[in-house]
Amino acid sequence: MKKARLLVVDDEENIRFLFKEELEEEGYEVDAASNGLEALDKIKHAAFDLVILDIKMPGMNGIEALNEIKNMNKDLPVILCSAYGEFKQDFSSWASDGYVVKSADTNELKQTIKDILKIA
Amino acid sequence: MNPLDIFGKIIAISHSNLEIASRINAILNIIAQDMSLDEAIVYTLDADKRLTCRFKNDNSALFHLLNEYRSHIGEGIVGSVAQKRVAQSFTFRDIPPRLGCLFYPDLDGSIQKYKVFSFLPMSDDSYLYGVLFICSSGKERLNNSDKAFLSMVAREIGGILRSNQLIISSKKRISELATLSELGKILSSNAIPQDILNNIAFITAKALNASFVTIRLAHSFLKLDSQRFTYGDIESESEEEVKKLEEEVKKLGKTLSLRDLATEGYKNTMTTSLYTAPLTSRGHFLGTVTLGGSQTVSGPTVEENGRYLIETIANYISNGLENTLLTTKLKDVVKELNNAQKRLLEQETFRNLGEMTANIAHEIKNPLVIIGGFTKRLAKKVRLDHTENRYIEIILKEVARLESILNEVLNYVKESPMVVKECKIIEFIDELIYLFTSDRAWEKIEIIREYDNGISLVPCDDQQIKQVLINILMNAHDAIDGSGKITIQTGRKTINERPFATISISDTGGGIDPAIIDNIFNPFFTTKEGGTGLGLAISNKIVLNHGGHIQINNLMGKGATFIVYLPIKNNIIREELI
Repeated sequence: MKKARLLVVDDEENIRFLFKEELEEEGYEVDAASNGLEALDKIKHAAFDLVILDIKMPGMNGIEALNEIKNMNKDLPVILCSAYGEFKQDFSSWASDGYVVKSADTNELKQTIKDILKIA
Repeated sequence: MNPLDIFGKIIAISHSNLEIASRINAILNIIAQDMSLDEAIVYTLDADKRLTCRFKNDNSALFHLLNEYRSHIGEGIVGSVAQKRVAQSFTFRDIPPRLGCLFYPDLDGSIQKYKVFSFLPMSDDSYLYGVLFICSSGKERLNNSDKAFLSMVAREIGGILRSNQLIISSKKRISELATLSELGKILSSNAIPQDILNNIAFITAKALNASFVTIRLAHSFLKLDSQRFTYGDIESESEEEVKKLEEEVKKLGKTLSLRDLATEGYKNTMTTSLYTAPLTSRGHFLGTVTLGGSQTVSGPTVEENGRYLIETIANYISNGLENTLLTTKLKDVVKELNNAQKRLLEQETFRNLGEMTANIAHEIKNPLVIIGGFTKRLAKKVRLDHTENRYIEIILKEVARLESILNEVLNYVKESPMVVKECKIIEFIDELIYLFTSDRAWEKIEIIREYDNGISLVPCDDQQIKQVLINILMNAHDAIDGSGKITIQTGRKTINERPFATISISDTGGGIDPAIIDNIFNPFFTTKEGGTGLGLAISNKIVLNHGGHIQINNLMGKGATFIVYLPIKNNIIREELI
């Protein structure tokens, strides 16, 4: 079976590094982008199965990026992953397919990815 | 005696300080003696405009008999003189058969011994004060100078009656003004509405000599416990009549007396008089004021002019009530405003504090995730011995603790929109209890549920309210130190006519130190080691956002009860009651 391709978008280099390591270990192919614009550029040129998007980023923030991504391809699943818990109840975040509060414990993130990609 | 001297004497008496009856009787004695009159009698007008014998010369023989009969204006000679205001003189031969309402046969035949009669009106340009009646058995006829003299005497007595009436009416006026000024003082005072209304009833009763005065308010607009304010005792047999009258007045919007409602036959047997006037403000019916008087030997204690007075006073009270109403409303608004301002200031403080905290928390969160995340990875990759593993565990535990603090901080400062829907709160309380009791830390806790099943649907953001209940339950758990009783009750309560669902959580943890109870909802205030002091602050904020409030009943030495009030709609209760 072909590996699922994930795109991690976070302005913090070490977060990108951590998620990449953790998710590659789970058997995904992981690419990373450091802001919204870079992410959009990558999505235009390559096919991804899922995007993990931070919210607070310089330039284009995650909510804006989410809208752009959904405009381009509404079927591409996006998980918002932020230090804030508050956006959970923000209507603008409802367009996302999942919301995970950023944590050192990545199990919730992994589970959410599995649920969305329907991997048992 | 010289007529001039006599008249001088009469004027002197007329202007003396003696009381009215002594003055008039003295004058009647003088003229009776001087003109050899058998009878010199003065008729005056009663309140109901009937002529009655009031004053007489000492030797009068007819007075007692005449005094028993009263005549209308126009009736008999006395009535006719009063109506036409023209003096009339007669001899026995030409006198008409009726004196007043009385025919001469009733006068024991004594009428025949009199030779001359004269009836003189006592009036000025506008008012008639009475009629002077004289008759004589010794005089053959009245000459012109006698008639002129009598007319001067009649005018003089008329003057006495007039000034007396003026004095009485001005006294009345003064006492009315005094009453109104008393009422004004009360109505414009800062006293609480109950006291104002009780005082009005008291002053009105005193001023009008009423046996009771009762004010009934139509609505609970003043938010008072009672709607009726009474001075004096309402006799039990009058109670129904008062209520009936109040209802009629409410319907018709005008002043009514018991007499207006009574049937013809009943009128004469009435022992009480009641007047009820509406209290209205700008066309709105506010209530009624009722005045009660009883029938005494000397007539009713509240007379026919009660109607005019009660209307005047009702007007006054209406204005006063409007002021009180406005003041009460104003006080409410000011209170509301103060609360709003306090909340605003609180929110402002929180917002500034919140923004700063949120930024810091966010900045700390990322490095923390990185530290924790890589520590985990490290632990997975490297084989470590027992001690080193413990170090790693400690790092991870501390990271988790820091994360949870940051989450709480970041949650507190969020201004998330509420998602309100009709929630079955009993269901989610059960859900929470189930979650808690499956935890070992709750093993030794007995949870008692007392639900009012009438409370089913409460409009709220269930996630937020769950958070509130979790916080309070966790506090209860900590208060009883993991073993004891926690009672959860649901119910409903109406505050200021607004219905609330209540969820109360009581513990047996010995209560909260009164010294800190005021701080309990302040953010970052905590008594727990490692606590963030945000649990109750968040809970309070959430409940306030719902339009409710949290009440704490603290029993030192026993335990604390937190009661969450959440507003519910009126119709929900109504539906449940049916």
